[in-house]
Amino acid sequence: MAAPLLSDELKAWIGREAVYPAREELGRASIRYFALAMGDENPLYQDEAYAREAGYDDIVAPPTFVVETCQYAHRPPDVHGYMGHAWDLPIRGCRMIRAGNEYEFIRPVLASDRISVTWTLEDMVERKSRRGGTQLFVTSVARYYDDGEELIAVNRETTVYQPLDGEK
Amino acid sequence: MIVTSKSAGDLNPGDAMPGAEKTLSSHDLMMYGAATWDWHRLHYDDGFARSMGLPAPVMDGQIYGALFAKQATGWLGPKAFVRRLDFRMRSMAFAGDTLHFEGQVKEVLSEDESGVVVLLQQLKKGDAIVAEATTEVRLPR
Repeated sequence: MAAPLLSDELKAWIGREAVYPAREELGRASIRYFALAMGDENPLYQDEAYAREAGYDDIVAPPTFVVETCQYAHRPPDVHGYMGHAWDLPIRGCRMIRAGNEYEFIRPVLASDRISVTWTLEDMVERKSRRGGTQLFVTSVARYYDDGEELIAVNRETTVYQPLDGEK
Repeated sequence: MIVTSKSAGDLNPGDAMPGAEKTLSSHDLMMYGAATWDWHRLHYDDGFARSMGLPAPVMDGQIYGALFAKQATGWLGPKAFVRRLDFRMRSMAFAGDTLHFEGQVKEVLSEDESGVVVLLQQLKKGDAIVAEATTEVRLPR
């Protein structure tokens, strides 16, 4: 019987927080860049007059932009080039994959918004895997606040750590 | 003139969303990574992906959220507001794969001053589901 993935050392991480204060406005350039990368020509994302006619106060960000960008992060890129939030959990001999995300949006996000982000490690659960053995599900929640400290979006993300041994 | 948005009254459970397909190359994944300030090599560096035992760069699961939202808002119009998007990964996809979109209206809810349409959306590679989503969109009534 292998040692449990969810060690006491790891359990102590549940409830941890990481806070990333806003550095700048999201900005029109970031929004247009994301829309270009997605091949999305919706004028809401680049034409202020159009956005105003549709009832918005400024250029709007595509719906998922705010929860997908790492623009908020204050970290140097890691060895693989990733620079967004990460817990750097003390888990060895596993690969990490994304299981799913639940996004909740409270109001449209505008180019002029300054967004602060708080990540919370909400829970860790070890479950049986279909391949035999177990895998560890880690649920983290990012909350996005505007300059008035109003919550504008939530991203609940579940990742899975799967042991690499016994695969071959 | 802005494009007309659909209203909740126009939609019924079972209505199909328009289908679409998109092939995502390493270049597309590089652009998405750069535009989200995520430079992880796994999503655009062929040699790095192979060194990890993978056939090609891996599609970043996050991009599925953006694709589901784009399909929903492109269909429903500029007044559509995505208020919830829950998506789950079902199988891996790699640079060069062609993804097919499918979607339908699950239900239409009425709220005080607006209607909310609940969509079930899927991204498929051949017959395999790559990701699926439940998407709630607020619309004018």
